[in-house]
Amino acid sequence: MAIERFTFPLPDIDDPLTAPFFAGAARDELLIPRCDACARYVWYPSERCAICAGPLVWTSVSGRGTLFSWAVVERVFLPAFAEQVPYVTALIALEEDSSVRLCAYLVDVDAAALRAEVPCAVEFRDLQFPTVAGVSVRVPMFTVARRQ
Amino acid sequence: MPVNDPDWGYRQPLDDIAGRVAIVGIGETEYSKASGRTATAIGAEAAERAIADAGLTPADIDGLTYSGTFADFGVAEFHEHFGTSHEMWSSPWGGGMAWAGTAPYLAAKAIENREARNVLNVFPVAWATQRESMTGGPGEVHAAQALKQNLEVPFGFFPQPVYFATIMRRHMIEFGTTREQFGAVAVALRRHANHNPAAVFHHKTLTLDQYLGAAMLADPLCLFDSCPISDGGAAYVTTSVERARDLRRDPVVVQGVAEGYSGSGTHWAQQRAFTSTPQVFSAPDAFAMAGITPADVDVLTCYDPFTIVSLMQIEDMGFCAKGEAGAFVGSGALAFDTGSLPYNPHGGLLSHAYVLGIAHVIECVKQLRGIADAQVTDCEIAAYGGYTGHMASTLVLSKDR
Repeated sequence: MAIERFTFPLPDIDDPLTAPFFAGAARDELLIPRCDACARYVWYPSERCAICAGPLVWTSVSGRGTLFSWAVVERVFLPAFAEQVPYVTALIALEEDSSVRLCAYLVDVDAAALRAEVPCAVEFRDLQFPTVAGVSVRVPMFTVARRQ
Repeated sequence: MPVNDPDWGYRQPLDDIAGRVAIVGIGETEYSKASGRTATAIGAEAAERAIADAGLTPADIDGLTYSGTFADFGVAEFHEHFGTSHEMWSSPWGGGMAWAGTAPYLAAKAIENREARNVLNVFPVAWATQRESMTGGPGEVHAAQALKQNLEVPFGFFPQPVYFATIMRRHMIEFGTTREQFGAVAVALRRHANHNPAAVFHHKTLTLDQYLGAAMLADPLCLFDSCPISDGGAAYVTTSVERARDLRRDPVVVQGVAEGYSGSGTHWAQQRAFTSTPQVFSAPDAFAMAGITPADVDVLTCYDPFTIVSLMQIEDMGFCAKGEAGAFVGSGALAFDTGSLPYNPHGGLLSHAYVLGIAHVIECVKQLRGIADAQVTDCEIAAYGGYTGHMASTLVLSKDR
């Protein structure tokens, strides 16, 4: 059952279920599937709306959200992450629908000062792992939003 | 999963089997770090001991429930080991995890339908040994899922200690749960393991200060919030209550079984009720089938890979209100000898061994037989809370009346 894909743990940007997400990120655009019939956001992506079975359309969202929860990962669980620990992986509740939670790196933050529900904003960056030479994937990451 | 899902999960209705079947034999192997053994060999030894404990022979076993996910000890392995060849009813929906709690239901239905008379449930694991070759283990199953590979793993949301660190954090945010309270679970279970010579951590003590000073795996989840990886296995034999009364051991009667599911499966990040388990949908049904309330339970064992999973299940099964498990466990409630809710007296996954719940059911049987190492006094009713992420199960057992 070992994973053969050589780009792992980078995402497989060709997987049809999630390809539009990464195609959007490549243009610095955050896309979330939304039901064309009942207008609900559906996350994670699926073939059809989980509630009304309507067709899904990848829809641009603001990239704003709040910090739902987070962990400061200190242990190296996969060799690819050896150089980036400690890092903050977070669940960001989107402004458009707080039940949509994106798993994302929270970057440029003081982990000890984080508080729940702080406003966060998307920032697109290239994701690379030292174990996957020469390949990067542009992905949404998040930062704590600056005060107005 | 139903398409129309207004709630975050659902219950699986089961037939009433209260008082129909009993567990009459239990068998355990050594619990250890890497043993060098295969899961199949471990399963065979557990099976052999459970059958002998029941006073039966392998030829008497005409039903087998096992884990189809791992399939280390199925019908072919049974016959190979025992040199038998008889017809055998079997189901791959048994074994460990949540299914350690529902296998007696499968046995009851097979017995009712005259498909089997004596049903063996087996679950072995050798992940500690397999870890040397980087095969098997709890993370691998998850990393193989496409949605996790694309939307979680690349973002560092992997594996289980990270998932549960975020759930633990959210429990702290919503309910004010403290690290000292999570530590109270780890310390209580280690004390139980210190009473149990079979526990992997039998000789290692743990204080709250040691807990608070331990290395973080994924802050706020530290080393002692997480269970080890182990080798070991166990098995039990279920038969009709009538036949059970003719066998050598005091029957341990199955009084309630239930199962509940989360609509978001094993995608913890998206579970709407983030700090809950599907025990919410399971435990009330099992207690209703048994005709009891949580207050009637003398000993509780729960699948406890992380301290947070103990807190959530204790709440979701109704042993305290939602959000109050921190204060509850912090008060010393879990101690086998002085607590109001003796909990995982064998040490649990955290301090006994990570054999995925099968030893929790065995411990319930031992407590009801009165032969446990950390024995609860006057133990009449025992309950097991099984948890496999997308699924929870509840098993209520009692002494024969």
